[in-house]
Amino acid sequence: MKHFAVTIIGRDRPGIVSDSARILYELGCNVADSSSTILGGQFAMILIVSHPDFETSEPLQRAYAELEDSGLSVFVRTLKPGGEKRPDLPGELCMISVYGSDKAGIVYQVTRLLSQNNVNIIDLATKLIGTAERPVYVMMCEAVLPPSLSVEDIRDMLENLREELQVDISVRNVTPVEL
Amino acid sequence: MAVREVLVYPAPILKQMCKPADPHAPETMALVQDLIDTMYDSGHSVGIAAPQIGAPLRVAVVDVSESKLGRKHNHGLMVMINPEIIERSGQKTMREGCMSIPDYTGNVERAKEIVVHFFDQHLKDCVIHCKGFEAVAIQHELDHLDGKLFLDRISNPSTELFRRKH
Repeated sequence: MKHFAVTIIGRDRPGIVSDSARILYELGCNVADSSSTILGGQFAMILIVSHPDFETSEPLQRAYAELEDSGLSVFVRTLKPGGEKRPDLPGELCMISVYGSDKAGIVYQVTRLLSQNNVNIIDLATKLIGTAERPVYVMMCEAVLPPSLSVEDIRDMLENLREELQVDISVRNVTPVEL
Repeated sequence: MAVREVLVYPAPILKQMCKPADPHAPETMALVQDLIDTMYDSGHSVGIAAPQIGAPLRVAVVDVSESKLGRKHNHGLMVMINPEIIERSGQKTMREGCMSIPDYTGNVERAKEIVVHFFDQHLKDCVIHCKGFEAVAIQHELDHLDGKLFLDRISNPSTELFRRKH
């Protein structure tokens, strides 16, 4: 079965989710994974959907035209076989918080260091908070460490950035517990 | 003694309110033994509640002593018949998973310390103060006795529900 990634974004209003869900339901699509949130004044949706018969994204694109007419942007990507499956990621799970006075390069510097060390980011959210005079940048990142690295290693690596960027950084282990 | 099959959602029993167990009934002791065997057999679980193996009764077992997170504060194997949490304090968030909901974990906020009242396997009336991971595990298992799953307690869907790594 072919899988498709659908991204939808536009000015937030009540009804975006239900409009999209109706289109998918009427087409006979399954929604596998999805994540949606409000970013600024925009509502953004990302969905992995499947359809037993669709070979191309064309029927989806056609059906979503009505949403685009209502001012939303819709993008449909056809996944390669297996692209819907999450890869097995062994290694410790950790949460990294970075926050401080807003300045250019916080996300870049932190993620570059993570990427250079083969740390895989699986969830990332940033937000500008504080006041117009004293803006504060907050970045929350969940990441899987390669088997060769521990939480302490990452903490040590980020220590230099803390100085350089004048931000606060904390790294903590997230241990999922089966009860 | 027997290792029983762990029921997974949507087994209806997982959403039922369980009835008090008769601590003196031989069936209750057999159920306790099955819970212990099933919990230890899973290898990775630190607790299990009666409805998870098909018995709608207020019985659960917990043992966090072998787990890294529970090594410091624990009461070893705890067999709880008709347990009730009589005091709660503090807050603690953990990434919880459940044998009855495979492949998902989510952040759940619970009391950091609890006092729990129950009959143990020797029919002793116990009042025990627990904290940390042991307290979290007990709250998770006791939720099962009320037909509650950790999915009922996740507060933020966008970041707090993840597929569990295997």
